[in-house]
Amino acid sequence: MNAAEMAKAVREAKISAVEIAEGAIGRIRLIDSDVRALLTPLFERALEKAEEIDRKIELKQDPGPLAGVPVIVKDNLCMRGQVTTCGSRMLENWRPPYDASVVRFLEEAGAVILGKANMDEFAMGSSTENSAFFPTANPWDLERVPGGSSGGSAAAVACGYVPLALGSDTGGSIRQPAAFCGVYGLKPTYGLVSRFGLVAFASSLDQVGPFARSVEDLALAMNVLSKPDPADATSSWRTRPDYAAFLGREHLKGMKVGLVSEFEDYPVQSEITEALARVESILREAGAEFVPVSLPTTIEAGLPCYYILAPAEASSNLARYDGVRYGLSAEAESLMDLYMKTRGLGFGPEVKRRILTGTYVLSSGYYDAYYLVAQKARIRISREFRSAFEGADMILMPTTPTLPFRKGEHQDDPIQMYLSDVFTLPVNLAGLPGLSLNAGYSKSGLPVGVQFVGPKWGEGTLLAAAEAVERVLGKPTCAFGGEKA
Amino acid sequence: MPIGKDEILRIADLARLFVSEEEIGPLQRHLNGILEHFERLKELDLEGIDPFAVECDTAGSSRQDAVSFWPGREDVLAQAPNREGDFFRVPRILDESDEVHLDECR
Repeated sequence: MNAAEMAKAVREAKISAVEIAEGAIGRIRLIDSDVRALLTPLFERALEKAEEIDRKIELKQDPGPLAGVPVIVKDNLCMRGQVTTCGSRMLENWRPPYDASVVRFLEEAGAVILGKANMDEFAMGSSTENSAFFPTANPWDLERVPGGSSGGSAAAVACGYVPLALGSDTGGSIRQPAAFCGVYGLKPTYGLVSRFGLVAFASSLDQVGPFARSVEDLALAMNVLSKPDPADATSSWRTRPDYAAFLGREHLKGMKVGLVSEFEDYPVQSEITEALARVESILREAGAEFVPVSLPTTIEAGLPCYYILAPAEASSNLARYDGVRYGLSAEAESLMDLYMKTRGLGFGPEVKRRILTGTYVLSSGYYDAYYLVAQKARIRISREFRSAFEGADMILMPTTPTLPFRKGEHQDDPIQMYLSDVFTLPVNLAGLPGLSLNAGYSKSGLPVGVQFVGPKWGEGTLLAAAEAVERVLGKPTCAFGGEKA
Repeated sequence: MPIGKDEILRIADLARLFVSEEEIGPLQRHLNGILEHFERLKELDLEGIDPFAVECDTAGSSRQDAVSFWPGREDVLAQAPNREGDFFRVPRILDESDEVHLDECR
């Protein structure tokens, strides 16, 4: 069952929320010792919440559009009173005093949160190997990475623990693990989903979004998540559409899909090129028209631009971890000593790399040469996308240049790891929506993802196109088969 | 000019981040790698671009500047690594010479 079917069955009292939660917990207990998608299970709390849903049903009250649907949220989303580690020793024992708005939206809609998902420390990474606690495995090949930084959320959906999970995406952290785990992952337009209660990494880029195994569930999740939020100053106040209304289109006639001329020369694994061709022919068959578009500097400029701006913002955002107010605190003789030791002990290698890079590019004498140039390049990239969308409703492109890589493969060369996000991070730089969908499997059984990118507020188009592909290729299947939520 | 060991230590100091002797080499290589990558950006034509001309769709989303009650104060203080009453306690900030100086000011 997908989330929509589950919620319907619960609202019609055909199955209880407790039965669904117990089933999901059973599957997690069966599989997660191998995959390790979950950092913190919240089973007891989940069963209590499920009982509340069932009581509402008995009293003929409506628990909401996600009634009894089990979900897992990335561990950088705050839940009041529940440990929220962000994958870091720095926050190993931190219990936030408030809920993230998206957590509240989920629970108000009747969802049952089963646990917090593993992630790269402070969402910095592309393999979930940077978690300070343990790495997560790719459900399709335990020797490979699930992608990152939302690797735990993607793996949880791929394993069939839950039909929906939340992640966050600063440079590809939803879409890249979605591609690697063979599920849908949607990074919404900047400003569409509230970030209140999302532990900040790079505030001009961060967005929260859903993972799912059906397009219907993505639309359902977006209807619940995409509310204006006075607690997030970057939350847009524009009226949200009903995302479900974009589904059920008989054809895609009139839709123009862009193919980026400059991407043709970029080295991409053959299975991914084949998947792109497969999706192109499905969309053509459905009536979409293909047009060439140009993003002349996006691919060249995106990576260096991102790896200046994101660390710059991170170095500023992570200055708050000082050992004084919350989180880890080292024994120290002086205040300076407290800062230096706490941060030296609490942060892992990748976080340290980014803080130092960010501090350097913002430091006196270097700001103009690095930060300002990167900021200008960012605007140029946004303009290139804007011109491209003058002639196209969406763009079809790879999510990643490669299939899931082996654990440890890029650990000694962080810049190689960064290249994994070469097709996803320009989308964050421009603040656009991006959807990664599964488009089949390699000969070795690894999922192959492709990406749809839309203009701002263009989520509906991406969902409609993804549904057309789903009709032909079917919904993504679960790893490990068997009973699944 | 590649970044040297002293520069890494200077940046680490600015970032209030203790870096061990073993960490310096890898950090140096990494930062130099990033900056080398960055050279590509310098080839772009960025003439006339206002670096802060970011499109903004959130105008008008400011809240009313009004005080509201928030019940989480005790939860926040309870997380303090070193608390004294309603205060966060920190190690000594001033050293003795500062205190002498303060006395002079008085």
